[in-house]
Amino acid sequence: MSESNTDASQDSAPAEDPTPFGWLSTADHKRVGRLFIVSSLALMVVGAVLDMLVRIDLTDASDFAALDASSFAQVFAMSREVLVLMFVIPIFLGLAMYVVPLQIGAANLAFPRAATASFWGWLVSSGVLFGAYLGNGGPYGGWTEGVDLHMLALAGMVLSLLIGAMVVATTVLTMRSPGLYLDNTPPFSWSALVTASMLLVSLPVLLGQLAIIYVDHRYGRLFLGGNFGVWERIDWIHRTPQLFIYSVPVLGVVAEIVLSASRRRVFEPLAVYFTMGLVGLFGFGAWANFSVTGEGRDLIDGVEGVILVGMYGGALLGTTALLGVLGFTLFQGRKGLKITTSLAAALLAGGMVLLAAALGLVGAGADWLEIAGRGNNGNPYLQDTTFVTGLQSLLIYGAALMGVVAALHWWAPKIWGRRLNEAIGLLAVAVVAVGALLATAGPALSGVLTEQPDFVYPDPNLTTVYDALVDDSGAEGYSAMGLFGVIVAGVGGALLLLNLALSVLLKRGKEAEADPWSAQTPEWLLESPPPMGEGEMADITSGTPLLDATEADADAEEVTV
Amino acid sequence: MTDTTPALQAGPAPRPRSQFVATGFAVAAGSMMIAGSLALYMARRHASGPHPGHDWLEGHLVPNPQFDYALLTLFASVITAHWALWASRRGETGHTWTAIATTLVFGLGFVNMVMYSLNRMELEIGSGEYVNLAFATTGLTLALVVVGMFYLALMGLRSVGGNRGRDSSYPLGAAVFFWDFVAVAWTATWYVVYVVK
Repeated sequence: MSESNTDASQDSAPAEDPTPFGWLSTADHKRVGRLFIVSSLALMVVGAVLDMLVRIDLTDASDFAALDASSFAQVFAMSREVLVLMFVIPIFLGLAMYVVPLQIGAANLAFPRAATASFWGWLVSSGVLFGAYLGNGGPYGGWTEGVDLHMLALAGMVLSLLIGAMVVATTVLTMRSPGLYLDNTPPFSWSALVTASMLLVSLPVLLGQLAIIYVDHRYGRLFLGGNFGVWERIDWIHRTPQLFIYSVPVLGVVAEIVLSASRRRVFEPLAVYFTMGLVGLFGFGAWANFSVTGEGRDLIDGVEGVILVGMYGGALLGTTALLGVLGFTLFQGRKGLKITTSLAAALLAGGMVLLAAALGLVGAGADWLEIAGRGNNGNPYLQDTTFVTGLQSLLIYGAALMGVVAALHWWAPKIWGRRLNEAIGLLAVAVVAVGALLATAGPALSGVLTEQPDFVYPDPNLTTVYDALVDDSGAEGYSAMGLFGVIVAGVGGALLLLNLALSVLLKRGKEAEADPWSAQTPEWLLESPPPMGEGEMADITSGTPLLDATEADADAEEVTV
Repeated sequence: MTDTTPALQAGPAPRPRSQFVATGFAVAAGSMMIAGSLALYMARRHASGPHPGHDWLEGHLVPNPQFDYALLTLFASVITAHWALWASRRGETGHTWTAIATTLVFGLGFVNMVMYSLNRMELEIGSGEYVNLAFATTGLTLALVVVGMFYLALMGLRSVGGNRGRDSSYPLGAAVFFWDFVAVAWTATWYVVYVVK
């Protein structure tokens, strides 16, 4: 073991309590990672159900089908917060906490206790957030103190996730085994570094804004519109381009699986790192949400469209280049290629990110160039229609959920010691893909063709009673398509949970050896799953030690012949 | 002729400066937090009327001398914080704890002066847009000051307790780095909220 790692582990190597109580005070990155993953999966179900309720209401243009006006607005807000802050961000944070130390040869995370605090802080804040909503205290709610509570819970949740992001980013930067340089780090660890860094410079903006919103809401409600003014200032964390930052770990998962499946090195490794960084970089800046609040819009009048086109264009460029490089490598290694659930899901997840970037660019371009009269004569910009919901659905259900399917099938042997069922897995991939595309197509087409408003901020009543706001009556049908898509994607998510229950909980999955995939990266050198607590790791000087060994064997055979 | 140059031994692997790097991330996050709050302040100021910032003070006078002294005190505390780090790196315990204590006293003095200045302004929370914005942005920065003081005190105690010398002072260095950031954050807040208004 390296000196640097020994020094660090001496500072932070608490003994692990093997009893169930040990989960409360654990400082083992594997336990904290599992806690994040399992909790996020449970909360994904809640988020999907809330999204279904919202979409049921949107299928009826004349009245509220499932919820009343106040409930609709709150459930809408809640569904976004749950899907983004309780599912997408934490599940990849948990995966990073589990996998990154194993990939870089570290005995543990840089600050294991901070990681544990991050999880419990996030979970408790999530509970308080649910409490605020249940008491009619979400944005647009009628319980004033509840709205304050909602903001405090949101701040607690963001702060906890930021602590987790800081732990992951610091681990990648400082805990790598000596000789394992950053440009040789496994792709998923790199993507974790990019995402954590971008979260650390984007989400704190929300904290700063929440401080002002909280003070104004609690004392006088003078200028931010009271309960109705909260959502428009916090909504940017759930929208594109910020959603691209959350999608970077998906690209890391894609790169990890595709490179292993092709059993080859990528011809230009730096391109993989650079393009992932590019996607994260061009997701930055959504916090300047002038497009939503209108504040400061006049200052940059005319430039706003160029900025958004540039951001989506950058994300598209990065994703295209990355998938191009990976696709070429996969093509080179096509002989003997075996389609597994994780590979199929990874390819589809990468495609979904690409599609989202392309759609986002088309939408931003149409708004900028005012195609078909956008922004004139009462025609709304696409960014004010359900086109936005379509992009959200594509990145949440298409990219993130599909990425989770890929990642869990890939790393389940390392996390739980068992392989997931391939047949159920492939079925889940197909179902999630169909569901995500329908959930995207419904609202996106409705936004383009009927100008169905995404959310009318000053008055939640207008959101569902939109028959007077749309050009024709097609919106109901498109909304039904979107609802059907969410239901189908939800079934796909349920199949993943069923697979986990059968394979892991009921132990029907095949017990996994150390490297069941002929993978490349260092975590597959360890037994599956690695033992609890800090283990001794061999010195790792390469991000692809298993591939190195395979190539060395092949070279030796060639010399012998 | 044989080469008699001895083979160089590999030096010891560098200690992971995790705390310093994590503090760097915290500083980046804190910078964006302050920037976010000040951006919303500026956006509201821009939207406050035809003469942004002129009308919304509603007769409240900003006590410039007190705020200036507070700022100078904070800058002085930055110097004493660096004095502590310098002393810690040289292994001088006496200088280290004297400098840390001085920094913390300056920090308390700064908080006291800001609170006094706010009292002089006779701001009543909830009485106006500027008042609420000033309370929120100032409170956020003061929270960072308090966090910085705790961090400095904790790392100062660790330094006095034995973590000193050139290779072991980086935890204190991280705390001093954070304190530098706190000073910059307050300077930005002071300039936007109490100078530009």
